[in-house]
Amino acid sequence: METENILELQNLTKTFGNLVAVDNVNFKLQAGEIHAILGENGAGKSTLMNLIYGLHQPSGGNIRIFGKSKVFKSPRDAIASGIGMVHQHFMLIENLTVAENIALTVAQFSSKDGNTDSIESDTESPPEENGIPSKLSTFRYKKNDAIRLTEALSQKFGLAVDPSVLVRTLSVGLKQRVEILKALAVDARILILDEPTAVLSPQEVTGFFKILRALQAYNRSIIFISHKMKEVLEISDRITVLRHGKKVYHGKTGELSAPGLAREMLGEELSEVERKENKATTDLVLNVSGLTVPGSRNENAVLDVSIQTYRGEIVGIAGVDGNGQRELAEAIMGLRPITSGAVEILGRQPAGTKNIRKCGVGYIPEDRRTMGIITSFSIAENLMLNITHFEHLAKRGVISQKAKNRASTQLINTYDIRPSFANIPASALSGGNQQKIVLAREISPQPELLIAVNPTRGLDINAAQYVHQNLFAQRDRKKSVLLISTELDEVLQMSDRLYVMSRGKLIEATAHRDNIEALGLLMTGETYPDV
Amino acid sequence: MFNFSALFRKTISIPFSVGEKILPFFLWILAPVLILTSAFITNGVIIFLFGYNPIEAYAAAIGITFGSVSAVSETLVRSTPFLMTGLSVAIAFRCGMWNIGAEGQFLIGVLAATWFGTKIAILFPNTSWIAVPLCLSFAILAGGIWGIIPAILKVTRGVNEVISTIMLNYIAIHFVSLMIDGGPLQETSKTGPQSDPIAEWVFLPRLFESHRIHLGTGLAVILAIVLTFVLFRTTFGYQLRAVGEGAAAAEAAGISISHNTLRVFFISGALAGLGGAIEIMALVPHRLTENFSPDYGYTAIAVALLAKLHPLMTVATALLFGALAKGSFAMEAEVGISRQVTLMMQAIILLFVIGASAVKFFRKRTL
Repeated sequence: METENILELQNLTKTFGNLVAVDNVNFKLQAGEIHAILGENGAGKSTLMNLIYGLHQPSGGNIRIFGKSKVFKSPRDAIASGIGMVHQHFMLIENLTVAENIALTVAQFSSKDGNTDSIESDTESPPEENGIPSKLSTFRYKKNDAIRLTEALSQKFGLAVDPSVLVRTLSVGLKQRVEILKALAVDARILILDEPTAVLSPQEVTGFFKILRALQAYNRSIIFISHKMKEVLEISDRITVLRHGKKVYHGKTGELSAPGLAREMLGEELSEVERKENKATTDLVLNVSGLTVPGSRNENAVLDVSIQTYRGEIVGIAGVDGNGQRELAEAIMGLRPITSGAVEILGRQPAGTKNIRKCGVGYIPEDRRTMGIITSFSIAENLMLNITHFEHLAKRGVISQKAKNRASTQLINTYDIRPSFANIPASALSGGNQQKIVLAREISPQPELLIAVNPTRGLDINAAQYVHQNLFAQRDRKKSVLLISTELDEVLQMSDRLYVMSRGKLIEATAHRDNIEALGLLMTGETYPDV
Repeated sequence: MFNFSALFRKTISIPFSVGEKILPFFLWILAPVLILTSAFITNGVIIFLFGYNPIEAYAAAIGITFGSVSAVSETLVRSTPFLMTGLSVAIAFRCGMWNIGAEGQFLIGVLAATWFGTKIAILFPNTSWIAVPLCLSFAILAGGIWGIIPAILKVTRGVNEVISTIMLNYIAIHFVSLMIDGGPLQETSKTGPQSDPIAEWVFLPRLFESHRIHLGTGLAVILAIVLTFVLFRTTFGYQLRAVGEGAAAAEAAGISISHNTLRVFFISGALAGLGGAIEIMALVPHRLTENFSPDYGYTAIAVALLAKLHPLMTVATALLFGALAKGSFAMEAEVGISRQVTLMMQAIILLFVIGASAVKFFRKRTL
């Protein structure tokens, strides 16, 4: 018997300008299944989910729920149709109790008039909630009703949480439970979980999977987004793989092994990338030893990392976003305190970003808009936003307008920054052109060491190639480049030596550069036998 | 190769499109005018509702503020403390440091000048050329040190500067009271809560014999010009603005946020302190009394915001506030409008200014 399709996407497409983020995707979700969506960063997973959740509107195609075509103008519509989403960053009110958070959601959605196609009429068996207040007054908050509702929900689905504690006192794992409860409280039939395990400890993951199984038993469907292969294989019933916005694989879990899935995720054409041969010297430029860096939640974002770069080489670090790459780069630049270990640049241990910069270190940060440029500053002012630059342009502390204009005109022309007027604010530029400002500023002085984090993100192919040429030129000048990128193609193409960063640890992977399966496994936190 | 765009930039130095630059520039001039026009119309209605003739009231106000050379001189004198404290606030806000402490820094400057003028000046009898600069320096240092306290708290302990500067204002206000009411700076006769007048050779000279406008006013205007240059033409000003506009990017560029925090708070405090010293050194009765500052340091926030934190524009806005203070006095004295009403009118003008600056921030976010 064919199982019912609770959600069906037909030829769904979403474009942003020239970028096709979701390309003609067909997708079916059955009742009571856990469906994993795998894909690299930028594969279109999040955009696809935002389309289902009504945060974006599709450029083409159809969304059907229980066979009925739906148009979601906003998440409100999606929620009313029984779709719940748990974001990576929780949408909870920290200073309210669990019950109050639940009540807030319920009050918003249960009192909607004229909502005839509510979930009950769609499902075969309406939920049997005896004695549970399924509606809460919009006008008056009844504390006991809210607590009873929360308790009933958490008992029913096995999501134990104390309704009367403040959300801000809860652990991350418990907050996630509250998020799920919130979705269930408005009777979500489809739960979208965006990287739900990213914030959990291994022990919490085990508990979390139990919850998912319990939800499955209640005929709830779950879309599970992840790039952790092992978890996907463990929990899901079916797997869909996205690559560059397209659906490239779809099948039952277990039909394809982890290496096979990795190949689907990353694409096969990668191994054909041509690499320029290069001979690195033995002159040490960057020497990081035993570096441990705390992250924003005080976890170890970078764990006992050691890496060296030499003159005349590009060292690449591949990995999925959020595995400690950003923290590593910031720690090297002196922008983040370190727990232990040491960073040595050209045999010295400069203290503070200013002195590190003065050793001849260029830095292309990951977060362009907040760390790379100042949007209210003019292009010219942004082009000198580096202590060595503006000190060079000044005489006794007074900036020479002539030197400043000459320098900015030259960089605007060389890097083809558009619009090419030095005095307009950087906020008037597109993301790609803002990135060019950063690149022009950091690469043109030919630094001894260049730390580039996702340098081509947001650039078109030509601009990206220009960046790559410049990085190669740095290498040929016998300078050193540390390239940290989530684009595996880029890292493979550019680097002489290759590392993979996963969960804060750095694994040397130069030997595996032609083995896409091995790289995929390393990136998803697995081990590879030969490493 | 022939560089066309560079030539274009050189020959036509106007901004390149209406959407990008002309409009904001246009607003830059137009917005304050519109704000003030609406505020004056609103106030006109209020004057009318209280049973007075708005035209008559405004005429009296304009007459006493700009009606004669001596009226203008008096208005400039009234504007000087607004300018000094306004510059103090503007420079700190430019760096993203919400220094609400100009009031306290101003008073500490007055206190330092009073102490110098009543106790130390005796060591330099009748030598203005030493005593005056020394007294000013004393106040600059005192204001700067008072100003740097919140910066140290912020840099080392992460204390929010808004809270610490407000608290320091109270400390300064009550410390001044303590000093002149039974404290060491109380007048020798011990009759009232005020200091002795400072020594005559510490007085700031007038610019013209027959008018009260004094050297301090000139100094304040020169400082506005110097600060404009520092802010927009020096590496120091560049770093300061970078920290204010994008702290994370500034830090990544190698600009130290803590150094700039300390520096800007010192300068901000020094400017306010200098403003205080100028008041006591230039104006009769040359003595420190209670309520010496009618909230100059708080009004300064409006002065600086209305000037869009630009030191040169601050000259204009300080003049406006000086004129307002004087104008309301004229309305009280000549038309008989009560003090409560004129204070209310001043508050309405401030409200318009604050409302407009909120619009500015909103625009920034949506862009």
